[in-house]
Amino acid sequence: MNTLANTLGQFSAVIRTCAEFEQDALVCPNYPAQRGVGVYRNNYRGNLHDTLAGAYPVIRQLVGEEFFRLLAKRFIEQHPSRSGNLHRYGGEMAEFLAHFENTRHLAYLPDMARLEWAYHRAYFADDAARFDLTRLASVPPESYAGLRWQLHPSCTLLATAFPVAAIWRAHQESAGADFNIDLDSGGDNLLVYRNGLSVNIIDIPAASLHWLEQLRQDIGMGAATESTLAAYPEFDLGTALQHWLANGVLVDFETLNATPAQAGVQLFNDTGFRPAPE
Amino acid sequence: MSNTHNLLSAAIGSLLVMGLAGNVMAADMQTEKCFGIAKAGKNDCASNKSAHSCAGQATRNNDPQDFVAVPKGTCDKIAGGMTMSSDAMMKK
Repeated sequence: MNTLANTLGQFSAVIRTCAEFEQDALVCPNYPAQRGVGVYRNNYRGNLHDTLAGAYPVIRQLVGEEFFRLLAKRFIEQHPSRSGNLHRYGGEMAEFLAHFENTRHLAYLPDMARLEWAYHRAYFADDAARFDLTRLASVPPESYAGLRWQLHPSCTLLATAFPVAAIWRAHQESAGADFNIDLDSGGDNLLVYRNGLSVNIIDIPAASLHWLEQLRQDIGMGAATESTLAAYPEFDLGTALQHWLANGVLVDFETLNATPAQAGVQLFNDTGFRPAPE
Repeated sequence: MSNTHNLLSAAIGSLLVMGLAGNVMAADMQTEKCFGIAKAGKNDCASNKSAHSCAGQATRNNDPQDFVAVPKGTCDKIAGGMTMSSDAMMKK
């Protein structure tokens, strides 16, 4: 049955991969169908390639521009764009690289892709209002354990297997390109977030990473702190709370029995972007 | 549990007494996102170029050659022993 959905599905396959199509199925007013499809396909690939190059500039430098083109082509064949906003395209790169035959020997690439996606996503994430300390003053102490903190929408917490922050820094234009990096020196605990207009990649203590991850699970501050202290007895709650509030990482809270806030991380889907309005 | 309660009370108590260092300054520095400030030192035009579908590329061939099957960027500079397969080592 030749429904519109079938036709569009076929067209999508023709554009993304080089699938064959029936000459009569597609009508191009100004060109022979084959050539028209070629123009469309080339534009589609070119745009998505440039989008990926914009989101993954370090990966591109690591593998070289020519190879990146091949890598992007394979990625694009497997991942149709699912949003009208191209800034949302490419979030599956880490997973893709982990299984891409030609780069499997570069074991640190998926970690780098995670870091670059976090950076990209932080740049385009929503703003959040500064935390209002006076609101906290009105919370009775018996409700402290049930406080649910919200992280800034741009935040990504990353525990990596390889020292990708050093590799990332070596590839920034301003850096003195220090490639003296020991891949076996262990991974990073990173927080990527935007403060004002600048995206920051910072090394954070493992205890803080654990605590912030717990808070992100939407459990109360009491349970999050107990879990963190069990794993990291040296964790200093007072310092952590002060630090992450002052740096704009913790932006709001709600008490356990309150209704969910209208803004914040809950509105974001798993790509970290606000869904397009219906 | 009461131990945790004491911890939380102490942490939030000192926060309320001392306030947030740097919070006032940070609030003063709040700015609107504007043109001319963009990711990684690139201007917004560059960013938009990579994310708008209007760029005319019909004449550009985006098919990479099949022989481009080996990464040859800066990965050579940092490739440690554990990232090299034995096959790749043989070819070196």
